[in-house]
Amino acid sequence: MELPGNSITNYIFPNNYEIWWSILIVIYPYITGLIAGAFIVSTLSHLFRIKEFDNIANFSLVTAFCFGCFAGVPLLFHLGQPQRALEIFITPHWTSPMSIFGYVYFTYMILLAVEIWLIYRPFFIRRANETEGSGLVGYVWYAMTLGVTTYHPDSLRADKKISAILTGLGIPWAFALHGYVGFIFGSVKAIAMWGTPLQPVVFILSAIVSGMAMLLLMYTFIAWRTKMPFEYPMIRKFMLILWGVFLIDISLEILELAFHKYELDRQWENLEPLMYGPLWETLIVGQFLILSLIPFLVLGFISLFHPKDKMTLFLANLACLMIVLQVLLMRYNVVIGGQLISKSERGFVEFHWDFFSREGVFMAAAIFIAPFVLYYVISRVIPIFDSPAYEPEDDEATEPHTPAP
Amino acid sequence: MNKHPMTDGQEEKTGTRREFLRNVLAGTIPATVLMVYGPGVLAHREPSELPRGEGIPKAEHYWIYVININNCIGCGNCVRACKAENEVPDKTFRTWVERYIISGEGVHVESPRGALEGFREINAGVRQRAVKSYTVPKMCNHCHHPPCVKVCPVGATFKSPEGFVLVDWEYCIGCAFCVQACPYGARFINPKEHKADKCTWCYHRVKAGKLPACVTVCPNKARLFGDRWDAEAEVTKVFLEDNWLVLKPHLTTDPTCYYVGLGREVI
Amino acid sequence: MKNLSPHTHLYRLGALLAAFFVVFLVVKSWATPASWIDDVDNWYRLDSLEEMKLKPLVFGGNESCKECHGKTYGQFTGNTGNEHKGLSCESCHGPVTRHAKGGKKIADAIRESKSTWQCQNCHLEMINKPKDFPQFKRQAKIKEHAEFLAGLFPEGTVCLKCHAAHDPTPDKCVKKEDPECSSVAKAKK
Repeated sequence: MELPGNSITNYIFPNNYEIWWSILIVIYPYITGLIAGAFIVSTLSHLFRIKEFDNIANFSLVTAFCFGCFAGVPLLFHLGQPQRALEIFITPHWTSPMSIFGYVYFTYMILLAVEIWLIYRPFFIRRANETEGSGLVGYVWYAMTLGVTTYHPDSLRADKKISAILTGLGIPWAFALHGYVGFIFGSVKAIAMWGTPLQPVVFILSAIVSGMAMLLLMYTFIAWRTKMPFEYPMIRKFMLILWGVFLIDISLEILELAFHKYELDRQWENLEPLMYGPLWETLIVGQFLILSLIPFLVLGFISLFHPKDKMTLFLANLACLMIVLQVLLMRYNVVIGGQLISKSERGFVEFHWDFFSREGVFMAAAIFIAPFVLYYVISRVIPIFDSPAYEPEDDEATEPHTPAP
Repeated sequence: MNKHPMTDGQEEKTGTRREFLRNVLAGTIPATVLMVYGPGVLAHREPSELPRGEGIPKAEHYWIYVININNCIGCGNCVRACKAENEVPDKTFRTWVERYIISGEGVHVESPRGALEGFREINAGVRQRAVKSYTVPKMCNHCHHPPCVKVCPVGATFKSPEGFVLVDWEYCIGCAFCVQACPYGARFINPKEHKADKCTWCYHRVKAGKLPACVTVCPNKARLFGDRWDAEAEVTKVFLEDNWLVLKPHLTTDPTCYYVGLGREVI
Repeated sequence: MKNLSPHTHLYRLGALLAAFFVVFLVVKSWATPASWIDDVDNWYRLDSLEEMKLKPLVFGGNESCKECHGKTYGQFTGNTGNEHKGLSCESCHGPVTRHAKGGKKIADAIRESKSTWQCQNCHLEMINKPKDFPQFKRQAKIKEHAEFLAGLFPEGTVCLKCHAAHDPTPDKCVKKEDPECSSVAKAKK
């Protein structure tokens, strides 16, 4: 293996013996990325008024919320002193990108919660009335309506306005929620792979891409299980937008490396042996050659050649599965790959896969599966693909609707 | 240019006066800015010149550290003393010594257990091919612009008024962001305490009027510690000549550990 | 049915969020440590500086040895030609707090009497050491030294047979009156 710094032996600083930010810190930006991505899909309907996405807007929001509930968990498990985690809220040091996590995450969850609440309020009211607020479940429904158990028809306008504002605010907020992670890495000039102004942009774009891809995979699975008809126009448009964003995403990822290589700057001295050495399989072969090139071609094929419905669905899922893995692998390559470069700039640190510890693979897997479990629980309780809008005639739906005289 | 008949002649006069004022200001403002923030002033920012909030105690000393590579014999006394003084756990180091052996093929750097037991003899083959060799002690550089302090999310690490970069163990959450940000590999997460740890220039010793442990046991004056504001101090005299360097100057961390006799191979 | 306006739910939501915000501000100001320094770059708990001063010292420095070992201290620092003058006692003998407490000995100080490790650590020739630093090669020119190092004298610190550790200058050589020692004879010639 080639070594940087004209070195003839692999020399790492004595304190570089461990990779401090391990699998949990790979999962964390992945989850916040999924939140941002899912939220952006909901804005395609709510803000950009693309009709095809209207039916999956609620689905996107609820998914974003589910991932959001678990976003802080990997961080909590990673901290050396988790019981001091609340210090982020008490004395956030504003020169540190990590300090904004506390407030941005919290307010973003409130924003998501309020937006979902405004959409599902009619449903909560209906449920509260059905159960008449009695019993534990009934009380929960009552609490969810904040005591307002009649649906005033004029409130729709105010709700819609607030919703629009929240959606508009939500975009920069989602960008802050995930972009700051990119800033965390981009601001570390000590690590050759991390320190670049492009990092926040690349993180946000790959977040959108991963969120969209994950949503499509979930949608396909749910529609298949619940025997819902697939909405092919939505899927096609979805793939077109995904293709465009993915193209920009991988362009920027490659652009960064291209500039380093072209200018042969100091960072390239460490990046080159890293890419062709320890990261060959995961970065060059895995992330770029297989998981970027193939989905890019597949998505291009779907968007340009308009294959038949069944084929589109299959190819879309294939591409999205690869993209979901690509983004996960990108997080791995950045987080762990960057730490492989010793600060001595004369060697590479070895990464040892950890399975059973507090920061191990199984813990990461459990944290990652939890949002899906939460989504399943929520989907049993509130309608996700059906409209939650208030229909006074709902209870008389079985009777034929006689026109008013 | 619009020439209104009513203000035509007047505009010319006020125009030239306005122009003149504009030119003067255009020169004065950048000049003032340059004077205040020019490169000469930036080179050595003393603690008292840094921005201050209320309640920060005034500094009475401006501590700096000088490492003389020409004197270092690689005995490892400093590493052992630091371990004993500060109860540094195994595998982690608040200070360590590196040996550089430079030959025609490239650079070989090693630090066997941080030079805890010094260095071993090298065989005759390597000896023959070696062109140059020296040992370099490393530690926290207590930078003027510490990247580690900047990125601490809760304010658990900071630069004290007298120049020490310290970690508040009652407050650190162990997120390891500072460990990532340090370009010198000086920081680590203490495996017993689960908090960020690093060289403190033996703050407790210096405040008691003594020298850091590593400086105390160094046999050949390779490590010096002193007050830059003391004109008679050995450390101050280092700056009378221009043969001192700092590590990784391109990262503009502006360290307060100054190296004399540093080879260009040292990163 | 109460007469609720179309915006009641929004007012209640707003009130709920406002209440939460107020509670948050109260808790935050209560939880912030009292001695906090509130400046952008200087952001820390001032009391930590006082706490750090309380850490017990392990090494005492040479002055801490002088009290009980005045004579040796005098030897060590007295002779102007002494090459070992100014060295730290504790660098060879270990920190004072592991040896004495409250003026009384609690354990023996380290004395490398069984091997030459202590001497070799500084003085064995290595290419990384400065050329003007006194160092000897294993393949010593002086035959006597080579014999010593080859293990002819397996017990004790062989270096100390001729060089007093506290003052290794030649005329302090411990065997200087020994007619058997050929290097002494050589020097006298």
